[in-house]
Amino acid sequence: MTLAIDVQQLTKVYNGRIRALDGIDLEVKAGHIFAFLGPNGSGKTTLMRILTTQFRPTSGQASSFGLDVVRDSAEVRKIIGYVPQETSVWADISGFENLLIYSKIYGVPSGRRKKAVRQALQRMGLEEVATNMVKTYSGGMVRRLEIACALLVEPRILFLDEPTIGLDPSARKAVWQNLTSFKKEHGTTVFFNTHYMDEADLYSDEIAIINRGKIVKSGTASELKQSLRSEILRFYSEDGNNVDERTLNDIRDLSMVSNATLHGPRLDVAVEDGERALPLIIGVLSRAGFTFSRISSAKPSLDDVFLRYAGQINFKEGGDDL
Amino acid sequence: MTVNDSFREMFAMIELEMRRLRHDRTEIYTRAIQPILWLGVFGSVMSQVNAIPTGGIPYIDFITPGVLLQSTIFVSVFYGLTIVWERETGILKRLLVAPASRYATVIGRSIASGVRAVVQALIIFPVALLLGVRFIPNPFYILAAFLVLFLVSGGFAAISIFVASVMKTRERFMGLGQALIMPLFFASNALYPIKMMPPALQYIAVMNPLTYAVDAVRGLMISGDVSRLAIDMTAIIIFDIVVFTVASLNFRKIIE
Repeated sequence: MTLAIDVQQLTKVYNGRIRALDGIDLEVKAGHIFAFLGPNGSGKTTLMRILTTQFRPTSGQASSFGLDVVRDSAEVRKIIGYVPQETSVWADISGFENLLIYSKIYGVPSGRRKKAVRQALQRMGLEEVATNMVKTYSGGMVRRLEIACALLVEPRILFLDEPTIGLDPSARKAVWQNLTSFKKEHGTTVFFNTHYMDEADLYSDEIAIINRGKIVKSGTASELKQSLRSEILRFYSEDGNNVDERTLNDIRDLSMVSNATLHGPRLDVAVEDGERALPLIIGVLSRAGFTFSRISSAKPSLDDVFLRYAGQINFKEGGDDL
Repeated sequence: MTVNDSFREMFAMIELEMRRLRHDRTEIYTRAIQPILWLGVFGSVMSQVNAIPTGGIPYIDFITPGVLLQSTIFVSVFYGLTIVWERETGILKRLLVAPASRYATVIGRSIASGVRAVVQALIIFPVALLLGVRFIPNPFYILAAFLVLFLVSGGFAAISIFVASVMKTRERFMGLGQALIMPLFFASNALYPIKMMPPALQYIAVMNPLTYAVDAVRGLMISGDVSRLAIDMTAIIIFDIVVFTVASLNFRKIIE
């Protein structure tokens, strides 16, 4: 199967000294939604701009559906849609006019143009404001119009650079609902950069985290979360009796447990895999005669994953509080 | 990238400019004030002096072609500001990622600016008529004069796009735009014949594309002497080809 995006040993050096990308390898399967995460200045936008043929890489290779982004750049531009981080529609004409101009630039045949514009407006829920000037639009509407412009030609890959930055939660949700329904209908591959971990978690099939020009971790959201091996199980004492030091040490000695700490009547146990560790811990506790009214588990979020692999703060293994 | 695709993109760019103009014409009106002052005040006063050998043409008539050209070139030279603005937003990135050639983008934008400039001239033209400027009553000549305005404005818009892709910020662009226009105007035959200039300035005037444009428009609109039209048109077309090429070659750099 041809990969939607195939990146090999890609580097980009600015002005001969700033290494924005430092040997990136990346594969994105066709039809997947791929989230690219990283702190500011980590090289996310640089990679996107190379993939969308705006920049040439310093070395290495990148291709979209087998088309090389440097050698076949004109062909690549025909199969991709791109929404940059900054506003990319004209504010002094209407939404409809923006789509019309873009449909002409993208070469939508005149017979299909009206229909394509109408569909794009409908897909992004902009029919009612189509004839209003773009400068009267809200941030979310502008973003949806930009995506609508990119979808006019039904691209095989859609590149979105921080698609929901600066939008309120309901506008973000609207953007994603429209995007996912379009994707379902057309099987478009979506590659997006983001800071919002919840979006990557909810909408992506695969994630890669970049830091200082290198990919530090990739996989599905659940794989990434599991890779932290730091689920916290919380046991709440029924009668206020605290677990004694010996039992605490017994729990710590279990192979799957990385740490156990007491917080008043609550016992926190940091484990790699909660589902398998839980019966063992309960065994130790019941042999020692302790009963608990409630057990809760706190799984690491994608935020924790991000902080671990790309954050500057050191993540304390099995920390006593999440 | 076929020729057809390129033309399609150029027309899309012209359409964009026309649609913008339809929504907001303020700029066209405010930009008309200065040239109207040149004609109405400077032209009228200087007509009384009779110090400049105009070949028997009233002074206000003599400077009308230059003023028309200056006003259209103003529109073109500051067209680059639109490009700088589009660079600051994501529009240029997006256009350069679209399946269109940079030549089509640059030439399309330049032509679009030329169209805008002609609209500008169309506002000043009736004012000149009211001020008593006598145009050659030949519609073909007048049309040809507007074609010259269009070609020259397009060329200056290309220069402006080139400057935008080098300067990249609004402030630097404004500075250079201002520094470019008035010397261009003064170092041409717009306000006085080249023969009256100091020799050093005469060399500059001969290299100045505006000189040929003024000469062509003056011949077509005012004096009716079109004997040098072929030379003038050749100069203007060479100018256009050179600036379109240079601006296109440099255009991708604007987003870096």
